[in-house]
Amino acid sequence: MLTYTIRRLALFVPMAAGMVIVTFSLLLLVPGDPAAVLLGQEASPEDIARLRMALGLDDPWFARLGRYFAALLQGDMGRSIFQNQPVAGVIGERLGATVELALAALMVAIVLGFVLGIAAAMWQASWVDTACMLLAQLGVSMPVYWLGILLMLAFAVQLGWLPSIGRGEPLLAAAGMALAGNPGPLLKSLSHLVLPALALGVNSAAIISRLVRTSMIEVLGEDFVRTAYAKGLRRPRVIVRHALRNALLPVISVIGLRFGALLGGAVLTESIFGWPGLGQLTIAAISQRDIPLIQGIVLTYAMMFAVVNLLVDLSYALIDPRVRLG
Amino acid sequence: MLKRALRNPSLVVGGVLTLTIVLAAVFAPLLATHSVDQMNMRARFAMPSSAHWLGTDNFGRDLWTRIIFGARISLSIALISVSAAAAIGSVVGLVAGYFGGWVDLLLMRITDVFLGFPALILALAIVAVLGPGVLNVSIALIVVFWTEYARVVRSATLVLREQAYVSAARALGASHGRIIFREILPNTVGPIIVLTTLGLGTAILSESALSFLGFGVPPPQPTWGWTLAYGTRFIRGEPWLSIVAGMAIMLTVLAFNLLGDGLRDILDPRQLSRAGRGSRNSTTHGS
Amino acid sequence: MRRQHLLAATCISLSVLAAPAGLMAQTAPTTVRVGLDVDAGTLDPRLARDTSAYRVTDLIYDGLVRLAPDLKPMPNLAKSWENPDPLTWIFTLRDGIVFHDGSPMTADDVVFTYQTILKPEMNAPLRALFTPIAKIEAVDAKTVKFTLSAPYSPLLSYLEMGIVPKKAVEGGADIGLKPIGTGPMKLSRWDRGSRIVLTASPQYWAGAPKTQELQLVVIGDNTARAQAFEAKDLDVIQSPLSPQDIKRLQGNAAFGNAVTTGLGITYLNFNTGDPAVSDPRMRRALAQLVDQKSIVDDLYRGVDQVAGSILLPSSWAYSATIRQPAFNPAEAGKALDALGWKDTNGDGIRDKDGKKLTVTISTHSEDPNRVQTLEFMQSVFQQAGVEAQLRISDWPSFSTGYVQKSQHQVALLGWLNIVDPDRLMYSQFSTNGPLNWGKYSNPELDALLDTGRKSLDLDARKTAYQKAAAIIANDLPYYVVSYQGYQVFYAKSLGTLEVNPRGYLRNVLGMAAR
Repeated sequence: MLTYTIRRLALFVPMAAGMVIVTFSLLLLVPGDPAAVLLGQEASPEDIARLRMALGLDDPWFARLGRYFAALLQGDMGRSIFQNQPVAGVIGERLGATVELALAALMVAIVLGFVLGIAAAMWQASWVDTACMLLAQLGVSMPVYWLGILLMLAFAVQLGWLPSIGRGEPLLAAAGMALAGNPGPLLKSLSHLVLPALALGVNSAAIISRLVRTSMIEVLGEDFVRTAYAKGLRRPRVIVRHALRNALLPVISVIGLRFGALLGGAVLTESIFGWPGLGQLTIAAISQRDIPLIQGIVLTYAMMFAVVNLLVDLSYALIDPRVRLG
Repeated sequence: MLKRALRNPSLVVGGVLTLTIVLAAVFAPLLATHSVDQMNMRARFAMPSSAHWLGTDNFGRDLWTRIIFGARISLSIALISVSAAAAIGSVVGLVAGYFGGWVDLLLMRITDVFLGFPALILALAIVAVLGPGVLNVSIALIVVFWTEYARVVRSATLVLREQAYVSAARALGASHGRIIFREILPNTVGPIIVLTTLGLGTAILSESALSFLGFGVPPPQPTWGWTLAYGTRFIRGEPWLSIVAGMAIMLTVLAFNLLGDGLRDILDPRQLSRAGRGSRNSTTHGS
Repeated sequence: MRRQHLLAATCISLSVLAAPAGLMAQTAPTTVRVGLDVDAGTLDPRLARDTSAYRVTDLIYDGLVRLAPDLKPMPNLAKSWENPDPLTWIFTLRDGIVFHDGSPMTADDVVFTYQTILKPEMNAPLRALFTPIAKIEAVDAKTVKFTLSAPYSPLLSYLEMGIVPKKAVEGGADIGLKPIGTGPMKLSRWDRGSRIVLTASPQYWAGAPKTQELQLVVIGDNTARAQAFEAKDLDVIQSPLSPQDIKRLQGNAAFGNAVTTGLGITYLNFNTGDPAVSDPRMRRALAQLVDQKSIVDDLYRGVDQVAGSILLPSSWAYSATIRQPAFNPAEAGKALDALGWKDTNGDGIRDKDGKKLTVTISTHSEDPNRVQTLEFMQSVFQQAGVEAQLRISDWPSFSTGYVQKSQHQVALLGWLNIVDPDRLMYSQFSTNGPLNWGKYSNPELDALLDTGRKSLDLDARKTAYQKAAAIIANDLPYYVVSYQGYQVFYAKSLGTLEVNPRGYLRNVLGMAAR
């Protein structure tokens, strides 16, 4: 298992390097000058030229790329042009918020997805099935940001049940305070989390519910489940012990596959709900042409992608003994 | 086959909806009740009436006309991007899976690179480079979409190349090209068709997300994405615009998804789910 | 009737809220929450470049002068100043001012602030405004002398920029992140991308503000920010707002509202170096096809005002008699006919020598109102037989990659913070001026702008700028579409709020004192 993990992580290096090169090429081609954006409309052309020189933007591309990789090997992601701080720090400030949102959305997706999927499978071909699957279909068919604005309109503006925007204390910190006897921040953090997590998670919930339904129906028809029934096991137990366990596999693989979609969706969700995460930072960095920051964010995405996929594969082995890692 | 198809409600509903939308797009000039870009600032945000079946937009333009002409743009982007992505991705997957070894390794590492980016952000960056427009948005979506096909087709190919009939063809001295395109490709068509149908919906959603962020097909083209992006900004005062555009997108995506699900049921469902599962594993092991 | 009900309901809910609040008044700080459209990039006033940074640093720092609502410079950290000659400005500083870290503010800090902003490697966005300063010296602890390389009367308006502490900055303090100023508020917490929390500075020289805490919450999307305000998650929101939200908010009795003309314009930049629009007659004809009133009333819903000339109505230089061409499609049609552009092939588009009359109009996608304006303009142009191609891209591509490289024909964009006419005209219209992206050149205008910059006599400046504005209104290197309006909405529970044309928030502090 350990050697497997190491080998898998080694694959991350060419992927990350490739992503950096792709990003670098895109940034080389994209119109717009970070120096001119930084200095604003009122800056003189001389000042802009001087800043370009200072930032090394006029150097040949291979020199810039080489410099970037050389620094990277020493663990230095560079400085954000706009925030004038180390890139790692800028990203670190935002990463927690996005991970929190993505995990919460995943929770929403799994809970909703399993409830709908199991209900549909158990009452297969009944109106419950139709209703659940129609809901799921609508869930995948809605533009994420539209859903977000509609949710905000309904639950924050019209009903006033939940805050419309922003984030409370980081969830972990708030949970710590709750353990120390102060539940206020935790409740506040959770109330801020509900709408964005829902908006982001519904899409994946719909996909998961369809998968759960399919694999459960498949499994419910298989020999060992029939055997389980024959042995006199009761229905809920069969579902949980056998059918659900088998349904988990494809669902987990989908979670891995959809992680990129979730992060992409987070870009929209974050900007609608004022969630201070990586998605908003990405949009800002692109719209400022903050080259080192964009590169750093891309590397972060690469790392998250690698870690999530590793976790998915490892959990495969845990859930299904038939899968051997090698 | 046809009987089975007609008994599949997803397929029937999805098919009929898709057909309706495609026909509306194709015959948009005949179905239009107004000119696409005729503005009337005194009739902005009108509700549906006999003159304007779906009401009017933020410039007083007829929404029905804009929506059916918008269908042309949305469907074009979806068709261009998904079919090109399917073609590119399938070839990559076939080649990687068939030859294996370092070819497979190289191609799959390249696939990983593109898969590592959040799709929306990669697409946005490409539109920023190329500039907005129908073709450029399509290109951006091709770059984002092709990886999925590459992986699914590759894992299907890995299974297929060990089949007896492939070995037989090889023993008979068939060229690689012949084996890949004549023997293996036809057997991967099922998953490709299903992925393509589902991908059409994703493409339409992606175009609208790009428009919301200002990187879609810019006005005055009557795109659904911009209409919805405008609509969400007017949502409190005049929600109608957002509802019409949102519903147009939702119904179309729904149509493609139902169609895709239906096709999946018809075209051996187990093959695709196994291929999908396999793709996950094979990248896992891929080395 | 209905409004009364609403009012009654509000009163009840307020009194319910007020009960526990009243009990806690001794301990709980009075907090005001304000929406921001973007996070501040830095809190170092020398490097401020976005509106949020301006608005926040204005609370944390003080400048030598502050600008009155009519933009006249008033004493602030400097209690007085004099000009022994046009090249010399001597400022006398107020006594007893201390920075938030307890250190006293002296002439050295002023000298340090302006010396550093002038350093090219500092990369200060506003450096160009201060380049006429040749030398800055501390005459004594309370006196600062500015020596100029050429007379430069607008300087005083720009000296509102915050003074930073020399000792702390030289000691390595990063005031971009942890600001230290002399202003009424100091930073207590900054969650990047999310919110900035300021608390009152008890030692503020003009008296500590009553508002104990000011939370500035970042919500990028205008509609979402307005919704957060309506959901009572914010107490104050201000421009930029979506015009479509404004009417609705105005109808809500729980909210106070104030409007004023801001310090910005939205304008069309004609590239006079491009053959398509190099002829002033062509520019005038196109300008007559810009339906300012519909743009301002329908698209901006009355927030912005129809512009008459390049001079702002709030400026001392304004004259209502100087007028650019107004919307007049019939006149425009005649002018285009006279220029030889006629629709000879009946396709609805004018042509000449077998070429269609086409212009490319561009703007950036971040501002949906500008995109709408372009879409609308295109439609009107089309009816007049002018084919308009739209080019809409994101800000860096549009601004730094296109307009600033003089690749445009007609571009829709804006200028902000026009505290002095010089700031909108000198670099923009002088022959080979650094911001003259439209390549306009007119020796007569050059001379007038030079007079305006150098003269210390307000009447002489006024005359020069009015003559300059008349030339611009006739020649149209710029066509000013609108004067940008500034809007603020606030919870009425906070009292009544004065407006500040730049959205500066000191009035919010005073407001909460009730």
